[in-house]
Amino acid sequence: MHIELKTEGGFAAIPALNKSRTINTEDLPEHEAVELKQLLNTTHFFALPKRVSKLPPGAADYRQYKITIEDKGKKHTVYLTDVLDNPPLRRLLDFLKAKMA
Amino acid sequence: MCQRIYHRHPIFCILPPYILSKISQNGTPEQRADALKTLATDSTMRALRLAQIPARLPSVPSRGIPMEGNKQRTIFDVQNTFDLPGDIIRKEGEPLCGDPAADEAYEALGRTFDFYWQVYERNSIDDEGIPLRASVHFGKNYNNAFWDGLAMVFGDGDGDLFNRFTISLDVIGHELTHGVIGDEARLQYFYQSGALNESIADIFGSLVKQYSLKQSAEEADWLIGAGLFTAKINGVALRSLNAPGTAFDDPLLGKDPQPAHMKNFVRTFEDNGGVHINSGIPNHAFYLAATYLGGYAWEKAGRIWYEALRDRQVRSNSGFLRFAKITLRNAMRLYGSSSVEVKAVGEAWREVGVKISYLLPPA
Repeated sequence: MHIELKTEGGFAAIPALNKSRTINTEDLPEHEAVELKQLLNTTHFFALPKRVSKLPPGAADYRQYKITIEDKGKKHTVYLTDVLDNPPLRRLLDFLKAKMA
Repeated sequence: MCQRIYHRHPIFCILPPYILSKISQNGTPEQRADALKTLATDSTMRALRLAQIPARLPSVPSRGIPMEGNKQRTIFDVQNTFDLPGDIIRKEGEPLCGDPAADEAYEALGRTFDFYWQVYERNSIDDEGIPLRASVHFGKNYNNAFWDGLAMVFGDGDGDLFNRFTISLDVIGHELTHGVIGDEARLQYFYQSGALNESIADIFGSLVKQYSLKQSAEEADWLIGAGLFTAKINGVALRSLNAPGTAFDDPLLGKDPQPAHMKNFVRTFEDNGGVHINSGIPNHAFYLAATYLGGYAWEKAGRIWYEALRDRQVRSNSGFLRFAKITLRNAMRLYGSSSVEVKAVGEAWREVGVKISYLLPPA
């Protein structure tokens, strides 16, 4: 499984800090790969809408995260922000942020 | 009548002046004397009453009838989680709580409120006295501050590249201004309208700082987020209105990506179409207009931009050109078609490549 995380925007939106980062689950240690797959299952990632955020239209300077996952021919991209009403997706984002720091 | 000592509301007299006048002309000597005395008092009362009528309608009662121009600040501590808004750490009127981020946010909210109230008579974000809220300690090592549509949210920075985001007054001014924009023009946060949104937030964020320091346009540094970077970073600020593209140049951060002219407009899908990048162009236009005119930038250039922001001609998808025309029209309305203010605004936009034209009145 191939996962890409890209951060965009924010008050301090600096392109060089917002580069795309990717991981392959095959390159992860066994326990992390298992953890990641469990997180993905609880989010029902491939069924999520394209945008997940609790922010209203007037919001500004929020960071946006673009998560793209490709698995056995399936590919899906979800945009999210830090203001979420979705604990499993929050945990997935935290995991990916930590892994790709 | 008004002469009774224990009248509950002496301001609101019963007999109108025209009846008192008739009595003063046609009544008995005692009645005429009384009526004349009342008329004299009454004029004073009417004058006092007029003086007490506020220039604008009072604030909406549903929020507890706050007096105009009164702040109602609440600072929340998110305690390094993502669960907004967090717990209350300081309320309006309370002394310093000892948490630097919370106290900085409280102070900066106050200064931003004061700026809008004292300079433009704007009563809080919505001009109706809406309470001001900020949440601090959002996330962990969080290198950002944002406007969530109703309140400001601040991270602590990672301490490596960034300091805490409450450290700069213009950051708070910038975020609160997003609230003002949301109340007025509602500029969509994408592409040119989004860059305009960002620019207006930077401009008024900078003006809040300049007003606080009583700096003229010549004295101001025109920087956004000076103080945000740690000493490790080679840069003076996040953005520069007087020289977009020069605020930082660092091995880790790269170079400040902002253009100062339309010919360098950045076409990208990232960052909602580059809202934090292309804001450099209208930012620079404001800087040029303000320094052309000199003096305090909030008085003339700031007033023109503020009036333009509130102009009904601004649509949610307005771009640079449309907004530029609206600033010019407002400058004409405020200062006259052949004023130096109009000239400054027109020149400023043209210098950044936004081609507005205007017909000069006959000589």
